[in-house]
Amino acid sequence: MSAPRPTTDRCDTEGHCITCSDEGVPMRVETSNAEAGLAVCVDGDGRRTDVLTALVPDVRPGDQLLVHAGTALLRLDSSTEAPA
Amino acid sequence: MKFVDEFRDPDLGRALSEKIAQTVDRDRHYKIMEVCGGHTHTIYRYGIDDLLPGNIELVHGPGCPVCVIPMGRVDDGIAVARRPEVIFTCFGDMMRVPGGDGSLLEAKAAGADIRMVYSPLDALRIAKENPDREVVFFAVGFETTAPSTALTLMRAKAEDVGNFSVYCNHVTIVPPLRALLESPDLRLDGFVGPGHVSTVIGARPYEFIPAEYGKPIVVSGFEPLDVLQSVYMLVKQMAEGRCEVENQYKRVVPYDGNPMALKVLSEVFALRPHFEWRGLGFISQSGLRLSDAYADFDAETRFDVPGVRVADPKACQCGEVLKGVINPWECKVFGTACTPENPIGTCMVSSEGACAAYYNFGRFAREREVV
Repeated sequence: MSAPRPTTDRCDTEGHCITCSDEGVPMRVETSNAEAGLAVCVDGDGRRTDVLTALVPDVRPGDQLLVHAGTALLRLDSSTEAPA
Repeated sequence: MKFVDEFRDPDLGRALSEKIAQTVDRDRHYKIMEVCGGHTHTIYRYGIDDLLPGNIELVHGPGCPVCVIPMGRVDDGIAVARRPEVIFTCFGDMMRVPGGDGSLLEAKAAGADIRMVYSPLDALRIAKENPDREVVFFAVGFETTAPSTALTLMRAKAEDVGNFSVYCNHVTIVPPLRALLESPDLRLDGFVGPGHVSTVIGARPYEFIPAEYGKPIVVSGFEPLDVLQSVYMLVKQMAEGRCEVENQYKRVVPYDGNPMALKVLSEVFALRPHFEWRGLGFISQSGLRLSDAYADFDAETRFDVPGVRVADPKACQCGEVLKGVINPWECKVFGTACTPENPIGTCMVSSEGACAAYYNFGRFAREREVV
């Protein structure tokens, strides 16, 4: 399982280095290989990345994950709402 | 995009701005520190400060992991990277951080095999693809990034990848917060607390801030509405005479963190007795090293790192900026000798650094007009 590497020299298109800023990015799971502890995830700009999933149980295609430095930190809750 | 667009709604932003204006005491000056570099970036990218009353001052804290790496640690990394058998890997922004003897980017230009990666897993992949070379990963970051390094090391150990090692510069967030609170030249009214660090450690570790120092803290998300709402929650606490840990980022941050991540961290890492922070000096128990169980993967023992210590350039005032004692544009070399293209200090290197955020988004020009 492998995904094409990003081609920009920043982690996102806003010139914002997510990895270095200790900030995560929401990504959607495309395929998951629980045995290997890996999933291919896609971000909002359509970029695909291999993600380690050992810290989040039962990762499935379609899940939204918070990913940081190639590791899923948690599953995002679909009931999330903006502040009122 | 879901989880993003709804937190950038301009009407909700204006409504929060009005609520903040209605809540603040107009006779009081509020000094609020955002700890995380990601928040600094959001504030200046979206002009959050323009939506706040003039008596709320946002101070930019030491939460950019690139900005707090001392020059000596960069020099040690470069010494390892120059070894002919080594492929040295690191995150993008780390490449440009100046050491006492140039940056990793300059070392790469001079012939060292230094490669940018997006995750430690990428570095491990390079190690497996190059079994005749030593592959070293320059690990930086707070508790958000450390689990990724830890999981990669566990994978390297399980797969017996003997040519992979980690030059560990991971740091922890609580000790520098305590050091800032102990600093006599800094007076703060509250903190916008780190978001994704707290995904791992939770909000509970910040309870000492209201309990021992009488300052409120609100753990915050990174979208513009998150930061605005966190500022509102802070001034509301002060207006109501409360002082506590609040969690604005409940959709992501469990109060007790991610127990699986904490378990992984405790297995792979151990606390160093002390670690040097750029501009802040040595802070006890603030840095991580590899635990004894993973000592074989420690680049510092594998390559006999020189352990140099380099004083910060005299003209650079990153320390005062990191502590919020001065604003970025008040540094003597800001925007003149020190620019993102040619940084002297680390705060100008990373896009999350306070100086680079000011420089890139033009705030310095307005502030100078005011001065």
